[in-house]
Amino acid sequence: MADIALARPAAAAPTTGSAWSRLRTSRGWLGFWFMLPAAAILLLFLAYPLAKGVWLSLTDTRIGRGGSFVGIENYEWLWDDNVFWLSVFNTLVYTGFASVAKFGIGLYLALLLNKRLPFKALIRSIVLIPFVVPTVLSALAFWWIFDSQFSIISWSLRHLGLLDHNIDFLGDPTMARICVTFANIWRGVPFIAITLLAGLQTVSPSLYEAATIDGATPWQNFRHITLPLLTPIIAVVMTFSVLFTFTDFQLIWAMTRGGPVNTTHLMATLSYQRGILSGNLGEGAAIATAMVPFLIFAIGISWFGLQNRKWQTG
Amino acid sequence: MSAFDRRQILKGGAALGLASAAGLEGFARAWAQENQWKPEAGASLKLLRWKRFIPSEDEAFMRLVDAFTKATGVPVTVTSESFDDIQPKASVAANTGQGPDMVWGLYSFPALFPSKCMEVGDVADYLGKKYGGWLPAAEAYGKVKGKWIAIPMAFNGGYINYRISAMNKAGFQKFPEDHAGFLELCRAMKKNNTPAGFALGHATGDANSWIHWALWSHDAYLVDANEKIIINSPETAKALEYVKALYDTFVPGTASWNDSSNNKAFLAGDLYLTGNGISVYAAAKNEKKDIAADMDHGLWPVGKSGKPTEFQLAFPILAYTYTKAPNACKAFMAFALEAQNYNSWLEASQGYLCHPLQAYANNPIWTADPKNKVFGEASSRTLAAGGLAPVSEKVAAVLADFVVVDMFASYCTGREDLKTSIRTAERQAQRIFRSA
Amino acid sequence: MAATTTTADTTPDNSEGMAYLDTLPRRVVTVYLPLFVILVVLLFPFYWMALTAIKPDEQLIDMETYNPFWVVSPTLKHIAKLLFQTNYPLWLWNTMMISVAATVLSLFASVLAAYAIVRIRYRGAVAVGAAIFLAYLVPPSILFIPLATIIQAYGLYDSPFALVLVYPTILIPFSTWLLMGYFKTIPYELEECALIDGASRWQILVKIILPLAVPGLISAGIFSLTLCWNEFIYALTFLSSTQNKTVPVAVVSEFVDGDIYRWGSLMAGALVGSLPLVILYSFFVEHYVSAMTGAVKE
Repeated sequence: MADIALARPAAAAPTTGSAWSRLRTSRGWLGFWFMLPAAAILLLFLAYPLAKGVWLSLTDTRIGRGGSFVGIENYEWLWDDNVFWLSVFNTLVYTGFASVAKFGIGLYLALLLNKRLPFKALIRSIVLIPFVVPTVLSALAFWWIFDSQFSIISWSLRHLGLLDHNIDFLGDPTMARICVTFANIWRGVPFIAITLLAGLQTVSPSLYEAATIDGATPWQNFRHITLPLLTPIIAVVMTFSVLFTFTDFQLIWAMTRGGPVNTTHLMATLSYQRGILSGNLGEGAAIATAMVPFLIFAIGISWFGLQNRKWQTG
Repeated sequence: MSAFDRRQILKGGAALGLASAAGLEGFARAWAQENQWKPEAGASLKLLRWKRFIPSEDEAFMRLVDAFTKATGVPVTVTSESFDDIQPKASVAANTGQGPDMVWGLYSFPALFPSKCMEVGDVADYLGKKYGGWLPAAEAYGKVKGKWIAIPMAFNGGYINYRISAMNKAGFQKFPEDHAGFLELCRAMKKNNTPAGFALGHATGDANSWIHWALWSHDAYLVDANEKIIINSPETAKALEYVKALYDTFVPGTASWNDSSNNKAFLAGDLYLTGNGISVYAAAKNEKKDIAADMDHGLWPVGKSGKPTEFQLAFPILAYTYTKAPNACKAFMAFALEAQNYNSWLEASQGYLCHPLQAYANNPIWTADPKNKVFGEASSRTLAAGGLAPVSEKVAAVLADFVVVDMFASYCTGREDLKTSIRTAERQAQRIFRSA
Repeated sequence: MAATTTTADTTPDNSEGMAYLDTLPRRVVTVYLPLFVILVVLLFPFYWMALTAIKPDEQLIDMETYNPFWVVSPTLKHIAKLLFQTNYPLWLWNTMMISVAATVLSLFASVLAAYAIVRIRYRGAVAVGAAIFLAYLVPPSILFIPLATIIQAYGLYDSPFALVLVYPTILIPFSTWLLMGYFKTIPYELEECALIDGASRWQILVKIILPLAVPGLISAGIFSLTLCWNEFIYALTFLSSTQNKTVPVAVVSEFVDGDIYRWGSLMAGALVGSLPLVILYSFFVEHYVSAMTGAVKE
C-alpha cells in the first residue's frame, strides 16, 4: 500500500495538505515506510528473541512446559559448574588461537594474491571454495580425515615411517582442540583473505612507487602504507571473525559434539545440549545469554577501531 | 534409508518373513474383527520412530504396519529420526500439541511429559494377561506414578562382542563372568596386540550401556530410590578405578567414539572386543563372513551383589493425548505386540530387539543361532534408566547430559582426578535433581 | 560501477611497483611455493570428499590392500543411491526454495532500508544505520532457544516459512551495509534532476538507482544465498520432518544407519550439496571481489 502511495508524483503532494499526504511526503515518514520491512523483521525475529532469551534465562522453562520466574538461579548454578567454565575456557582459547591464525594467514594470503600471478581469477575462485561450501559438509570431511582408525594423515605418516601408531585425533583432548581449531582456520581464512585483498586493491600503486623511489624497504612499505590504510577493514573483518568464531556451533557439532569429555564444548554447543537435548530451555538460554557480555566487549573494540574513519554512515 | 539395502537383506535373511506376509494379512483381518479398540471412522495415524539399526527389522515393522492398515483401514505414516533427535522432537510435539500421534522412542522419554501421554493401562493389561506378564524393567518404563503412559514395545540388548580366536589366544576358553577375569582378559588381549575398546564419547547407546553396567555392578548409583544423590561413595571410586584399569587396555581414541565407531573398527579387524548390540554381528554376517564366524557374545560380568545390573536400551511407544484417534493408537499398540506379529518381527530383527513380555522368551531367534542367545536375556537382566530411582524427566536429563559417562571419561583420560570427577558428577546431578 | 570492476582487475598488477625486478627463483620461493601449499591445504578436504564419494565400500576401510589416495574401479553407486533412493533431491529443493525466498525478501527490505538511510536521511538515519550494523553482530547461537519458543507459539514449527522469516535477520544487516556503500557512489545530481522533474522517491529508486546498483545487488544476493545454504542451527532446531529438512541438516542426520555410518553416501551428499554454490561462485567471483572493493572504499 505504501508503495502505491509513494509511486504518485511527489509534486502533487503539497497542494492537498491532508494528513495522508504528509505521511507520504514528509522526510521522516518516507524514511519510516522505507525502513518498515527491514525493521519489522529485525524487531520481530532478532530484538524480541534477544529480550525473550534473557527472560527465559531467568525462568525454569523446560521443553514441554512453561516455567516460572526463578531469578538468577540458573546463573548461580552455572557459576560453580565445572563444565560451564570449561566451555567458557574452550571458547576463549578456540576464538583466540583461531582468530590470530586466521588473521595472519589471511593477510599473508591476501598479500600473495595481490602480486603479479598467472591464472589470477582461477586462483581466487579456488581460494573462496572453503568459504562457499556449507560448513557442516566440510566439517564432515574433516571428521573423516581425523578418524581415529582410518585417518589419511595417520596412514601417510605411518607409511612414511614417521609413526608406528594411529594418531588419536579427536579422542585426545589437546589433539581434538587442535583439530577443530584447524578446521575453523581452514574455513575462515578465505573470507578474510578475499576481503583484505579487496582492501589492498583500493591502495593506490603510486604510493608504493613514491615510497620505493624514496628508498623504502618492502617491510617499510607494508608497515607505513599498507597497514594504516587497511586498518578500518581489518577492524571490521576481524570483528566478524572473532564474533562468529566465538559463537561457533556447527563445526563442533558435526566433528566432536563437544567431546572428548567436554574438552571441545563451546558455549553455543553446551547451550544446545542443555537447552534442546536435555530439554532445559531456561538453563540453555542462560548459557547463551552469558555470551552477550563477551560479544559487547568485542563490538566495543571494533567500534574503537572504526573511530578514525566514519564507517559507512557519513 | 534405502530400498537397496533392504532388498539385499531380504534376499538373504528374510525369505521366511516374506512367506509369512500373506499369513499376516489373514491374521490381521481376523484380529480386526475381534479388536476391542475400534478405530475412529476416517482415522489416520502418524508415527515417529527411531531410525533402524538392522534393515530387516525395519522391513518387518513396515509389513506389520501394512497389515494393520489393510485390516483396519487406518493409514499409518511412519517417519524415523536418529536416537539423539527423538527426544527433543517428542518434547516439542508434546509442547505444541501438533505432530505425530505416536512416538516410539528411547529410554524414559514419556516421563518427560506424563500429562501429555494417553493412558494405556487397558492395552497393557490386555497384553500382560495374554502373554505371561510384563518383565519388571518393562513395567518400570511403562508406568509413571502407577499409571501406564506408554507401552514398552521392546528392548535392545547391548553385550560384549568379542573375537573367539583373540580370546583363546589370551588364555581364555570361556568368557569370564566376574570383574577380575574380565580385566585380566582385556589386559592379555592388549599384550597380544588384539585390543579391546568401549566407547567413552557421547554415544547414546554404547557408552551409556557399558558405563552404567560398570557403575551399578560395583553397587554404586547416582541417586537412590528417593532421588537422593549418592554418587559420592567409595563404591563409585572403586568403579572408577576399575574402568580406568580397563581403559588402559583399550585401543586409542575411545574417548571420541560415538555409537558407530566401534562397529567400524570391529568390522575392519582393528578391534577385538567391545560392547554393542547385535548390529555388528548382523553386518558381519553380510559383509565379513570370516569375522562373523570368529565372533561371539558375552554377558556383562556380575558384581558382588550376585545379580545382573545391566543397562539396556528400552523402546517405549506412547500416544499423545491430543491425538484425534485414541482408539486407533491403542489398537496399533495391541496389534503390534500380538504373537503372530511380534514373533516374526523379533526374528526379522535378528536379535536386535528383545521382548518385554514373558511369553516371547521362547522365540526361536534366541536358539536358532547360539550366538544370539545372550541378547534374549537383555530385558530380564536390565535395570531401568534410573538404576534404583523411578523413571523420571530428571533421569532422562542425566542421560541426555551424559553425566555418568563424562565422570568416567574425565577420570580415565586424566583430565580430572578421582575426587574431582566424582564431585563434578555430583554437582551435575544436584543441578538436575534440584527441584526434586 | 563498471569503472570499479575494471580497476579491480587492473590495479593489482602494479600494486607492488617493483615486483617485476624479482628474479624467477626468488618468486618461486616467496610467492609460488607458499601459495601452492596453501591451495593444496584448502583443496585437500574436497579431494578427499570426492574420492570417498566414488570409492567402493570395501576400499574405504581396507587401507593396506588399496592405496587410500587413489581409487581402483570407482563407483557411482553412492551418488546414484543418493539421487534416486533417498529424499536428497527433495532436500536440495527445500534448501534452494528457502534460500531463494529468504534472499529475495532480504534484498527487498535491504534496498529500501539502505536507500532510506543514505538518501532520504530522515532524522536518526545515522543511528539506525549503526543499529543495523550491530544487528549483524548478534549470532544465531544466542537466539535459537528463544526463537524456538516463538516459532512454536506462532505455529510455524517444522515449516519452511519459519526459516524464510528468520534467515533475513542474518541477511538484512550485511546486505544493507553493502548496498549503502553502493548507493553512496551514485552521484546526487542524477537524483536531483529526477526530483526536479517530478519523480517520486520510489520512481527514482526503481528507475535510476537500482539499475546502477545491479553489481551490488548481485553480490548481496550471492552472499545471502551462501549464508542461507550454510545455515545450520536454526534449521536443526526448527525443522523436524525428514521431508522438510535442508541439505546440511539432512546429510548429518539421515545418512547414519543407527550405528553404521555410510561414509560413501555422506561424502557424496556433502559434495553434491556444495556444488551448486561452487558453480555459482565460479561465475561471480570477480563481481564479488569488486563489490567488496566497492564496499570498503569510502
